[in-house]
This record gives sequence, structure tokens and C-alpha cells, in this order.
Amino acid sequence: MINTRKKQPEFFELSKLRRRFVLIMLLSLFIALFSRAIYLQGINKDFYQKEAENRSDRTVKLHAYRGKIIDRNDNVFAVSTPIQEITVNPSVLVASAKQKNKLARLLSLSRKELEKKLQKNNKFVYLNRQLSPEKAAQIMALKIIGVLSNKKYKRFYPAKEVAAHLVGFTGIDGDGLEGVEYFSNKLLAGEPGYKKILKAEDGRIVDDLQDVKIPRDGQDIQLSIDKRLQYTAYRALERAVEKHAAMSGSAILLDAKTGEILAMTNYPSYNPNTKGKSIDFIRNRVVTDTFEPGSTIKPISVSAALESKSIKPNSIIDTSADYYKVGTSRVKDTHKYGKISVKEVIQKSSNIGAIIIGEKVEPKYLWNTLNDFGIGQKTGISFPGEVGGKLTHYKNWRKTDHQSATFGYGMSTSLIQLAHSYTVFANQGNIKSVSLLKTKDPTLGRRVISKKTSDEMLSMLESVVKDGTAELAKVNGYRVAGKTGTSKKLGPDGKYGQNHIGSFVGIAPVSNPKFVIAVMIDTPSVGSYYGGPVAAPVFSTLMAEALKIYSIPQDDFTEADELKREAKPDSII
Amino acid sequence: MRLNLILYIVLIFFAIATVNSEHQYRNNYSRLDIEKKTTSELRDKKTKLEIEESDKSGNQRIQTIASEKLKMYTPNKKEVKVVR
Repeated sequence: MINTRKKQPEFFELSKLRRRFVLIMLLSLFIALFSRAIYLQGINKDFYQKEAENRSDRTVKLHAYRGKIIDRNDNVFAVSTPIQEITVNPSVLVASAKQKNKLARLLSLSRKELEKKLQKNNKFVYLNRQLSPEKAAQIMALKIIGVLSNKKYKRFYPAKEVAAHLVGFTGIDGDGLEGVEYFSNKLLAGEPGYKKILKAEDGRIVDDLQDVKIPRDGQDIQLSIDKRLQYTAYRALERAVEKHAAMSGSAILLDAKTGEILAMTNYPSYNPNTKGKSIDFIRNRVVTDTFEPGSTIKPISVSAALESKSIKPNSIIDTSADYYKVGTSRVKDTHKYGKISVKEVIQKSSNIGAIIIGEKVEPKYLWNTLNDFGIGQKTGISFPGEVGGKLTHYKNWRKTDHQSATFGYGMSTSLIQLAHSYTVFANQGNIKSVSLLKTKDPTLGRRVISKKTSDEMLSMLESVVKDGTAELAKVNGYRVAGKTGTSKKLGPDGKYGQNHIGSFVGIAPVSNPKFVIAVMIDTPSVGSYYGGPVAAPVFSTLMAEALKIYSIPQDDFTEADELKREAKPDSII
Repeated sequence: MRLNLILYIVLIFFAIATVNSEHQYRNNYSRLDIEKKTTSELRDKKTKLEIEESDKSGNQRIQTIASEKLKMYTPNKKEVKVVR
């Protein structure tokens, strides 16, 4: 059968009318689009360009709240308080003369000064970076176009001078520059966030679009410091420095059991809330300055002698010589003591006695003991500017270095090192790590000397306060142990001059030591310059307050009365 | 034809859902922003109170009130009796 059906074309063919219709439609569409493009990019270009400039999405930094610095009882040492930053874009500023006058008055500027800041060639000017929220609100109430207010935070230090060296301060951008603010800056600062906003040209935020990164607020830092004791220490130092017209004074109080620093202060100080801090007073001299410790080292060298069995506690030392030659120098005692016991060497702070005892100890052993007590080493609290002091290696010691080391010369220590070293006598021969942060559990110590030697030394140190050079260190109702130190200061020419440093390091209560305090008065010039009269009273005031605040039970004095018993002479050295 | 219609309806549904979700997001973001501002304001208020507390309980202030208003003083050694 023949297929008679007409063959169908491969594609459907549109009618002429339809084809024209589609063509016209497409052309119209193209013309419409083309016209719109000409309208947007040609005819109305300026308007749209301005709109785009006016409203653009920007990524702005979100402030992370800086953590607080608090004491061990949650009292605030440093906190961020809101302030307002007033800025202006002079190129869009619209303000009447009356508004400008009011603005100048609120900013405490003259009209001339304000006009200088509002010069049109600037696009962004700070009018005030630290204005109170109340004043900023008054400025914003003027409704001046181009003037903006931005919330910022400023550090405030309620303890002012009392804790200034410890807490430090921040710069105008909020970064820590000194003290805890500096060394804990990363923890305190947190991490800023970012968000996308729609902003108008005059700076107004039209809309918040989205968070790009959520800010992480800084952590609070809880220090081991007790604000009450910090205050007492500062006031006691202030009195001592003023009374003796000294150059400066420093004090540190440690919890003997935990090694926590309960107070650390210096006088003169500065107010961290005000600008223009004098560079001379910024250093935390407890950790940054070193000095020759003098007699406060004697208990350590005597400990070395007892431990090495070079002497016995009841050995008799002959100090009757007028002087003892150390190199070209003649070392003397303040009085002639004659033949005295080891305890009396400490009690009366005999230099000749200390040298005689120290010479019996091998240089290596003496150096190791000093080293074990932390002399010449940083304490590990990571405080900015902390120095390690100087203790020459025994291999480089000449005879004079060996002799000088026995009574605290030829080396340098910071006050914190001295206090740290005395934790040995407060903990039956164990040295405790020092901490500036509050610790919950008692810390483990490292054994430095035996319990027997430590107890003997503590008893000797108690006699210093009871009948020796530091009677002004006594605290009513408590047994106190300690050692005075008076050292000559080296002058700029490297020679010993007429200036002295008086110091005292003490422990209380002797029956169960709880606190260690070290005090140093630099260059006392009125009255005495010895550690006993100048530094021991500061110790007494601070220790009495610490014992009272922490409700430490008073000592049983029958034990102390045993001190009266004289040790039997063993051998004369 | 039927499949196309179904797909078209699904498309419309998801388009509306997307718009709704965006709207919800903006609403929630706005609420979150308000809450954050409230948190910040409350924190500022707390800080202000903490500073005030610190100022009122300051050792210097207590000492001044004790000595000037209440006429208190530290007893000297003769006045102290230790009770055991």
C-alpha cells in the first residue's frame, strides 16, 4: 500500500504573524532593558551613586568586654566603665552657630578650638574620646547632623595608688601597659567580634545585617591579694617613708602555707586613673628592683653551715676581733660581742660571726643553698619587669666573694625573692612557690633544708625579735621571728656611699607560721637607717592587722619562754 | 505536564519558605540585638554599683569616718590587754 500522507516537516513552522509577534515582544523587552540601563547609568547616575555611597554595608568591630581584676574577696581592683566617644564628620556637618556654641561648652572647648577641629577638609575627627555618658547624651540631644556618639569602655581603678604598681593600667586603646593589666592582657581582653551593618554616609547605622563573628568577652582575673592588707601595707609604708624622709619603701606579705601574695605595695605610688603618670613611680619595685640584702641573708648562710654540719647550734664563735679582713675591706660589727653562740650571731647580727661560720662551708655548698632558697632567681610569678637578681656562680668566686656572700654582700636580690626564701623557715624546711593568683588548695613545697635545721633557725630568728635587733617587730599576743638587714647602697661610681637600705623579713606566729612579710626602706635620711628602727615597725603594723583579719589564734607564751634557756657551749670556733 | 505542575507548586512553596525563614531570621536577629543591648546596659549598671560599693567600703573612707566621726583610734601598747 502506498503511503499517500504528506511528509511532516522536522520542526514546527510558526505562522508569519506569530513570528512577528515574538520578534516584537523580544525587541520590546530588549528596548525596555536598554532604556532602564541608560536611565540608571546615564540620566539618573548621580542620584543612584550617592544613594549607594550613602547606604553601604560595612563590617564593624564588636567590642569584647574586658574582664575585671578582683582581689581574693571579690573586691574590684580594675573594671571597665562605659564612656562615650564623640566624633564628627565635618564634611557633612550641619550646625547652627547656637548649636556650635553649646557643643563647645559641653566639650569644654573654646569656639575657636572647636572650629579648628571642624575644618571641612577632614572626614573624621575625634571631638572627645572619653566623655561621660551624661554629657554625651546632652551633646546628642543637640541633634547636630554629622556628630556621632559611640560607646566605649574605660578602665577604672577604685584602689587608686594603693594597688597601682600591682594592677598596672591600660592605654587609651584598652591594651594593658603595666602590671597585671599587661601580663594578663590576652585573658582580660577576650576577642572582638565583627558584624555587618548598613550605614548611612553621615555615620548613622541604618540596619544591623548579620553577625560575622560573635565577640568573646575577656575573663575576670582573681588575684591572691587581700585589699584590706594591701591598704594597711601601703599606709604603713607611707608613714615610714615620710617619717624617715626615705626615697621609697616596698613591702610584700605572703601566705606562708600557700605562697600566695596577700599584699605587695610600694610608696610613693601614682593614681592609675589620671593621665601623665610619672615614670619614676610606675615600677613595681618589689619585683623590679634589686639590692644587696645584707644581714637578711645570714640565716641562709647559717642554715648552710648547720646542714653541712660545719657547726652545731650551740657552737661558740669568737667575734672579739676588731674587724675581719674581706679583701681590702675591713668588716666590723656595730659592737664588740666577744665569744657568742650561733644564735647570738643571728640575734645580734654579727658580721664577723657570719663570716667565720660561712667560711667553714664549702663555696659549692653555700652557693647551692643560696640557690635553693631562690636567691638570684626569678620567682616565677611572670610579673612584667621581674628581675632575677645576681648570684655569681661559685666557680667564679674569689675568697672575698665567698666571705661577702655569708653576710649578704656581693649579690643582689629583689624583695619578693627575700620573702620567698623565708617561706623555707615558715614551712619546716620547704620552699613554697609564690603565686599572684588565688589558689584553692595548699601548694606542695620543695625541701631545701631539714626540719631540724629549719626549727633551729626559726628559734634563732625569734630571738632576734625577742631580744635582738628587731624588738620593734613585736606583735602583741604573738610570737614573731625575723631578721633585720642594713646594707650600704652602691653609688653611681660603683662605690659604697653614705646611703643605706633598711630591711626586715619576718614570720608569725612562730608556733604555726601563717604569714611572711618583707619590708624595705630605701635611703632613710632622718633618724636611723637600720632595718630594725625603719622597717620592723612597718612589719609589726602589717602583721598585727593580718593576724587580726585572719583570726589567727594567739601563741602560747610558755613555749617562747623556753628561749630564755641558754644553750650549753659546745666548742669555741 | 502533571510533574511540571507539582514541581512548580514545590518551587513556590520553597520560595515562600525561604522568604519566611529570612524574615524570621531578621526578626530574631533584631530581638537578639535588643537583648544584647539590655545585657550591656545591665552590666554597665552592675559595674556602676560595684564601683559605688567599692567606694563606700573603701578603707580610706572607713578610716576617715572612724577617726573623725566616731572618734576611734588605734589603742597604744599600754591600753592593750591580751587575754589568754
